[in-house]
Amino acid sequence: MWRVTLKGLLAHKLRLTLTALAIVLGVTFISGTFVLTDTLHNTFSNLIGNIYAKVDLQVRGVAQFSHTSVGQTATRNPIPESLISTVEAVPGVKSAEGGLTGYAQFVSPEGKAISGTSGSIGLSYDPDPDLSSLHLVAGSAPTGPNDVVMDAGTAKKYHFSVGQQVKVLLAGPTQTFTVVGIVKFGTADNIAGASIAAFALHTAQQVLDEPGHLDDINILTTPGSDVTTVQNAVQAAMPAGVQVVTGKTVANEQTDSVDQALGIFNTALLVFAFISLFVGAFTIFNTFSIIVGQRTRELALLRIVGASRRQVFRSVLAEAALVGLVASIIGLGAGIGAAVGLEGLLRVFGITFPSASLVFRPRTAVIGLLVGVGVTVIAAISPARRAVRISPIEAISLHQADAEISGRRRLTIGGFLGLAGIVLLAIGLAASKLPLVGIGAAAIFLAAAMLAPVFARPVSSVIGRPLARWFGTPGQLGRENSMRSPKRTAQTASALMIGLALVSAITVFGASLSKSATSSVDQAISADLIITNSSQSQPGISNSIAALVAKVPGVTVTDTAYDGQVQVGDSLEDLTAVGTSTLAQTIILRMQSGSAASLDSGDLLVDATTASSKHLHVGDALAVKYAKTGTIEMRIGGVFATNALLGSYVVSNDFFLSHFDQTLPIAVLARTTGPSVEPAVTTALAAFPNAQIQSKAEFEKSQKQQVDKLLGLVYALLALAVIIALIGIINTLMLSVFERTREVGLLRAVGMTRRQIRSMVRVESVILALFGALIGIVIGTGLGVALVSSLHSKGISETSVPIPELIGFLVLAALLGLFAATFPARRAARLDVLAAIATD
Amino acid sequence: MTIDNPAQSPAAHAVDLHKTYGSGVAAVHALAGINVTFDRGQFTAVMGPSGSGKSTLMHCMAGLDRATSGQTYVGEHEIGGLDDTGLTQLRRDRVGFVFQSFNLVPMLTAEENITLPANLAGKQVDREWLGYLVDQLGIKDRLTHRPSELSGGQQQRVACARALLGRPDLIFADEPTGNLDSNASAEVLGFMQQSVREFGQSVVMVTHDPHGASYADRVVFLADGQIVGELAKPTPDKVLAKMRTLGS
Repeated sequence: MWRVTLKGLLAHKLRLTLTALAIVLGVTFISGTFVLTDTLHNTFSNLIGNIYAKVDLQVRGVAQFSHTSVGQTATRNPIPESLISTVEAVPGVKSAEGGLTGYAQFVSPEGKAISGTSGSIGLSYDPDPDLSSLHLVAGSAPTGPNDVVMDAGTAKKYHFSVGQQVKVLLAGPTQTFTVVGIVKFGTADNIAGASIAAFALHTAQQVLDEPGHLDDINILTTPGSDVTTVQNAVQAAMPAGVQVVTGKTVANEQTDSVDQALGIFNTALLVFAFISLFVGAFTIFNTFSIIVGQRTRELALLRIVGASRRQVFRSVLAEAALVGLVASIIGLGAGIGAAVGLEGLLRVFGITFPSASLVFRPRTAVIGLLVGVGVTVIAAISPARRAVRISPIEAISLHQADAEISGRRRLTIGGFLGLAGIVLLAIGLAASKLPLVGIGAAAIFLAAAMLAPVFARPVSSVIGRPLARWFGTPGQLGRENSMRSPKRTAQTASALMIGLALVSAITVFGASLSKSATSSVDQAISADLIITNSSQSQPGISNSIAALVAKVPGVTVTDTAYDGQVQVGDSLEDLTAVGTSTLAQTIILRMQSGSAASLDSGDLLVDATTASSKHLHVGDALAVKYAKTGTIEMRIGGVFATNALLGSYVVSNDFFLSHFDQTLPIAVLARTTGPSVEPAVTTALAAFPNAQIQSKAEFEKSQKQQVDKLLGLVYALLALAVIIALIGIINTLMLSVFERTREVGLLRAVGMTRRQIRSMVRVESVILALFGALIGIVIGTGLGVALVSSLHSKGISETSVPIPELIGFLVLAALLGLFAATFPARRAARLDVLAAIATD
Repeated sequence: MTIDNPAQSPAAHAVDLHKTYGSGVAAVHALAGINVTFDRGQFTAVMGPSGSGKSTLMHCMAGLDRATSGQTYVGEHEIGGLDDTGLTQLRRDRVGFVFQSFNLVPMLTAEENITLPANLAGKQVDREWLGYLVDQLGIKDRLTHRPSELSGGQQQRVACARALLGRPDLIFADEPTGNLDSNASAEVLGFMQQSVREFGQSVVMVTHDPHGASYADRVVFLADGQIVGELAKPTPDKVLAKMRTLGS
């Protein structure tokens, strides 16, 4: 039996190659994701490990919040600089160096703000080479108040050299420094894409706006002393709120936070990989169904000569497993290439990683193989069971019709599955449980695939009518072909259905998000100009900007906004601060109860969504924990209609500034006498190239662009699923052409030209694609609307179904169908007429 | 009653036709220099044992296959020089086919099958002629049926109607009754004979059935790729006798 399986495989090389391609692509995606994230994990843990390898102990503020945001380190208060001498006095401490991190952004020689892909970091330069994470590759360490060292990445890209002057944007006024040295971060040119400006400690305290303070003190112990003893001794000398931990602890914490961020990245990519494989499973199922159908006689003959049902079943499954195995192995290899490619792509975007060899863990291979082989085998189970039901007599009976089995059962199961999927989806959306949403959506797709054969005939007939008219007889034949096996048409179209359903759902979501964002800008802001940082990764702007803007003639009102994190109950929340005196003219705050004026007395405003979910009312007291000042019982002074640009909680600027160390505004809002004022504002802010001055319309547009950017990324990731669906269409057409060899021969004999044969196959393909796209778009629009309505309370208040885009997808699907037909059509046209009509 | 009109070219003829498969020692000569003429308005049967080359001859003369050397004419057209499109159009416009089995496109109705070549050519269908044909063939009430709903004899009659609709120079029938019982065979053969007598249609039929061959005006015998005999106004007995002499 094993030999029969192998021979069967070899006999169907071509169709199995196409099937395998679907698995190869999916497994490539999975293994590429794992290789990349494993490599990044290794790189970062090595890097962090190296940095803290020599640091024995670190003194720092205690973590202020019980939770941390994913991928971030804990919020800590700065410690007084005076602690350095206290630490140095402890026996066993060999040296102690203070460190500080903050915002410092270089300005290019052309006057543009240089934005690193993941921020612009300013820090203090640790003169002790044993303790410093930076090492000089040129020049010397910064010592004077005008010295700065620059990361090699920025220096290379903007051709800075030692001795050159450079402007640096800071929390306060912009200053000019001399580049005295070029540094690398470990072996990398920058910190994962963030630029580095390092200053002498006292300069850093000035420019990073923390005079007299430090973030931490790194300690080297004297050789031979017991680190734990020293740790305890230092801890004893420290005031409350300051802790002493080992370098290893710090390294582990940082590695953990990197791993959390990588974990999210990993999961996001894997979700798309599994979507691709899910679509691939349909392709496999379809291929095996057709192959079993075509081999009915052969399988029946095997039964006649004595193969048991079990042997036939195993033979089909073994074939699937073998295809899955080979495809998965190829996919694993290709995944390494994909990881290299992805890393290269990140480098193009300026995110460089410390050089490290690719990490291929056994886990990657195990998961890749399990998933690849598993999906293939599971998809082949149903066709294998059909093969088992073939009775030996079918080998000698002439007609070889598609056995239409258990149509009613399929409908029942499909209907049930569909309902279950909708219920799961609804629960998942209501409770924000993403896995439930995923399972619900998958169930709906499966149900749609099971129910689709019912619609396949009528829908294909309708779609095909104009095509039949357009292409004449070949068009009519193509239409008939698409209608003759509704099950096959439905199965083939199902793969594309899923791809397009997801694309449509995302499109509806994105359009609604865009619309909500822009309409909320209208309903959130009444200011004419909005000034923010031009770099997304660096939200703050200099605190001297507001004053400069206010002085420009024609600017009538300015307001400054800040944001920060606080802990309310167990969760971290965003807090927004606004200037109260000018609030009415710059921000639209629709109060539902209480008043905005209560901000002046230090009250807290809460948005309507949060108020209703937490049952908060005006006059209630709420415990809010601030990193700097601890827990404060705040009175709720008012509830406002949810505003997309404000956080859930709002306080006044005065209150904010006295409870936060960080004082960089996120935005400055200005009212002007007219559009002509904007150039004057631009001129006034010439010293701040990081300030982006936007009118309300421009601000709206940039909000929309952010959404579009995200959508673009998601589309790109979904493209693979659509490609796999196309492979499925190609595969089915190839199999159909093969199956209809005699028919094609007859058509050729009675006068069908090659061109007409090609048209016939193309029309069938376009109908298949349109059918899949149509169901997909309908389901996807439903999913998208459901998703959006579940997010109404989260600020996506508008539902938008972009009809032109959806029609565009339909057209695109038709074009893809046309493309998919290329090879099968050529093959059909090339069929040897004689071989086709030769009688047995 | 042969209608030999010297003003017209024959329906089809072949000159020194060779068809060789393989080369050198392994070469198989399916056709080894055949000269044959099929006259207009005549019903010719081609007979011969298996492997005699009768099907190959038909395929080459109908533009389904290419000869290795020699010339083939349908009407006055030399078909050796035609490309695939040319051959396709020739088959569509000037030749009709009736095969042994799988004659009809399964998803088209009987009528659609009959008009298929005309539709492919984008030509107007002669409705009157079509009506007459289906009437004569007794398939008028089966026109909206699909092939799977027709009996074998009905299917072959639909194929005959398709072949006749375009009034081709020549109809090639390849064992048209091979899968039919004797009643259905007689109907199909009788109709072919009728089409020759009444409409002046030219028909060439490949067969191995002496009784079937007796419907023809003339029988051409093939063996080993060559024409080895001929018989005019055949009867089953004469055909059998002739075949026996060839076999010995």
